[in-house]
Amino acid sequence: MTPQPSDRPAGAVQAPAVELLGITKRFPGTLANDAVDLTVRHGEIHALMGENGAGKSTLMSVLYGMTRPDAGSVRIDGRDVSFGDPGDAMAAGLGMVHQSFKLFDSLTVAENVVYAAEPRRFGFVDRAAARGRVRELADTHGLTVDPDARVGGLPVGLRQRVEILKLLHRGARTLILDEPTAVLTPAEADALFAVLRSLAAQGRTVILVTHKLREVLEVSDNVTVLRDGRVAARLRTATTTADEIAAAMTGRAVELDRVHAPGARGDVVLDVTGLNAGDAVRDVDLTVRAGEIVGVAGVAGNGQSELVEALAGLRPVTAGRVTLSGRDVTHASAAGRRAAGLAYVPEDRHAVGTAPAASVADNLAMGHHRTALSSRRGLLPPAAVRTHAGRLVERFGIKAATPDLPAATLSGGNLQKLLIGRELAHDAPLLLVEQPTRGVDIGAIQNIHDQIIAYRDAGHAVLLVSAELSEIRGLSDRVLVMYEGRVTAEYPKDELDERTLGLAMAGGTARRPGAGQDGDED
Amino acid sequence: MARTPDVRRASTALRSPVTFSLLAGVVIGAVFLVGTGADPFAAYGAVITGSLGADGIGATLTTLTSVLGMALALAVPLRAGLINLGGDGQMVLGGITAAVTGLYSPLPPSLTAVLALLAGTAAGGAYAALAALCENRLGVPLLVSSLLLSYPAISLASYLARYPLKEPGSSLPQTRRLPEGVALPAFGSSTVTVGLLVVALAAGAYWFTDSRTAVGYEIRMTGLNPRFAAYAGVDRKGLTLRLMATSGALAGLVGAIGVLSFPYRFLDGSLTSPGYTWTGLTAALLASASPLGTVLASFFFAVLQVGGLAMERTTEVPRELTQVLQAIVIVFLAARLRFPRRRGASGGHQPVTQGEPA
Repeated sequence: MTPQPSDRPAGAVQAPAVELLGITKRFPGTLANDAVDLTVRHGEIHALMGENGAGKSTLMSVLYGMTRPDAGSVRIDGRDVSFGDPGDAMAAGLGMVHQSFKLFDSLTVAENVVYAAEPRRFGFVDRAAARGRVRELADTHGLTVDPDARVGGLPVGLRQRVEILKLLHRGARTLILDEPTAVLTPAEADALFAVLRSLAAQGRTVILVTHKLREVLEVSDNVTVLRDGRVAARLRTATTTADEIAAAMTGRAVELDRVHAPGARGDVVLDVTGLNAGDAVRDVDLTVRAGEIVGVAGVAGNGQSELVEALAGLRPVTAGRVTLSGRDVTHASAAGRRAAGLAYVPEDRHAVGTAPAASVADNLAMGHHRTALSSRRGLLPPAAVRTHAGRLVERFGIKAATPDLPAATLSGGNLQKLLIGRELAHDAPLLLVEQPTRGVDIGAIQNIHDQIIAYRDAGHAVLLVSAELSEIRGLSDRVLVMYEGRVTAEYPKDELDERTLGLAMAGGTARRPGAGQDGDED
Repeated sequence: MARTPDVRRASTALRSPVTFSLLAGVVIGAVFLVGTGADPFAAYGAVITGSLGADGIGATLTTLTSVLGMALALAVPLRAGLINLGGDGQMVLGGITAAVTGLYSPLPPSLTAVLALLAGTAAGGAYAALAALCENRLGVPLLVSSLLLSYPAISLASYLARYPLKEPGSSLPQTRRLPEGVALPAFGSSTVTVGLLVVALAAGAYWFTDSRTAVGYEIRMTGLNPRFAAYAGVDRKGLTLRLMATSGALAGLVGAIGVLSFPYRFLDGSLTSPGYTWTGLTAALLASASPLGTVLASFFFAVLQVGGLAMERTTEVPRELTQVLQAIVIVFLAARLRFPRRRGASGGHQPVTQGEPA
């Protein structure tokens, strides 16, 4: 009952681990997969790349038995298979780590790993055997984690290990990882890559679904790029470049990792001193000037979101002072702060930044409905809402068939354009932006970055929170690093380097703000 | 883009869960009727003629006044995702307040009637606002606070009708009859009063606010995504308070209209026993609180309620059938079933590309 990893040498002459042949899947209005072939050999780390909507997810759900293709066949180890549900796929040796983990927080690591495939003794779960099994798997693959720790208390990187252990315990020979590094620190990502390499070296196969070029170049053997549901390129990692992959993904040459020129700094717009918001934000001091983008780097969960929420008036300030354009807004409501000159692009565009069930026009009207669009008597004429929507749709290149459709019908990148366009249209002195390009296509990323830079150059102050180091580097005039709720380091633009930044994000070196030569903190 | 927006809207409406639920209710009701040996056509025919025929239309419009009033009362907060479960209490409080005002006001009768209407409305509004304050200030969920506050209000009204205000010599728990002239004018000899006009005006005001004002926009957005509304600066607590006050005011208005119409007094239980609050809540839920839909659904339920009685009189079918219909509609609606799309399986969350799929 305990499956052993196969000891086949990598690259031996044998049937491929996974073969997808001519997969076609049509959804109403879109051809999600159009005769897609994908071949993954045993012991290979194969990256599947593509922009949002390119068909990666559909292809993986076909492979994992969650979607039935309209045409095409799936072969595992050379045998034709037809999976009715993920259970069948698991039985055939596939395993998938989803973007959002499926773990029980209140159970231990060992309990989570053996869940639904428990070693039994006299009909009871054999806890000792479970713990032993976790240790054994962990040792074999360098996935060190305490079998008795409660999953709820573990950092994200370790939870991901638990997910991988779970699959290994169930005998998965081919692992599919969906955007696995989205939530990891650079160091955690490196550790994950080491694990993946070790798994591949032992003959297991890894399919990495991702849109991050850097990690594909670093860890994969081969790359398949999808665009508009078709295979745009099949590349050997050893002989390709980031530019080539990006061009295959977008269908045109893309300038990656552009570092924008610094802005012309003006007066202080946002001045924060000793800000505390519960336990999540502690003693934060920061200033943002007009014509300046201040980047906040940090691993997710170190208080960046809470800091922004406290600044936006969505989280109570427990101590400290916040001034916006000279006005004390420490205890002002969200509406009061917006009136004082704040616009805000939140991290979660579906749950916070928009109402997906409402129309595109209604979503674009939010915040403008009391000012530009509304008459003095509080009337909001539908015609004004539509005109306003039409103007923003055109100005920001939002692809919407009509503004009457629900915002939920927009693609991720377009929804983000809607959100950013709406907030930029406020023309507020201060813009708070969180994760402006998360889950957004490469093409749209450039557009969004240009919009933010243009907003800064128009003399506005921008506070940018992002988990993407390249984004922080490219846009920011100054970078703060948050760790465990505090601002632990600050770097001016010309002193930025990804290694020290990564170290600071992991809580490594603490460079106190003000310790540097930056004369802004007074 | 082959189809015009109107055609598209019509086909969307046809596929909507509301249409599906209503048709399913009617069909399953017919199956029940056939199963018991009754003729479904005769039974449904009796419902229609009994409620919309010359003999029934008056009763239907009288019922519609209360059902629509309560449906609006519940739709207003529901549009923002809030549920007021205290409609009974607010309505009864409005009724007893109107009765007290009508009995003791020193003003001339016609002014007294207006004053009683306003007083009942105010009482219901203030009482519902109390439930909102319980949520805003004390953290008691609105569902709980509104429902629990309902009982003392009903008990207070019951006490007043049985002891201090009781009609001397009557065996019923009812107040004295309001003085001559303290009543809402009726149309001809029917029981339909100007109360229906007042409620219709309220429905019109609701439609206007919902589609044409900034407040209505904020209410809709709060209902669709409360976090989105809060993020954009909508003051949720203030909105809750105002919506509940409006909701309670409408419920109080229904109570006051009930007292200022036949039999021109407060009779304990007469406002709550027809179940206007629950019928109204069902209508509001059925319509997702959209103004026009709420009016249509209220009319539908008023027809069922009155027509059910007529059906019982003229055929052997008990009027409970109409309640079965109502229940089936709700069950189907809760399951959110809809007619299958013509184009095969639904595409899940595929983003819509440019235009309609041709």
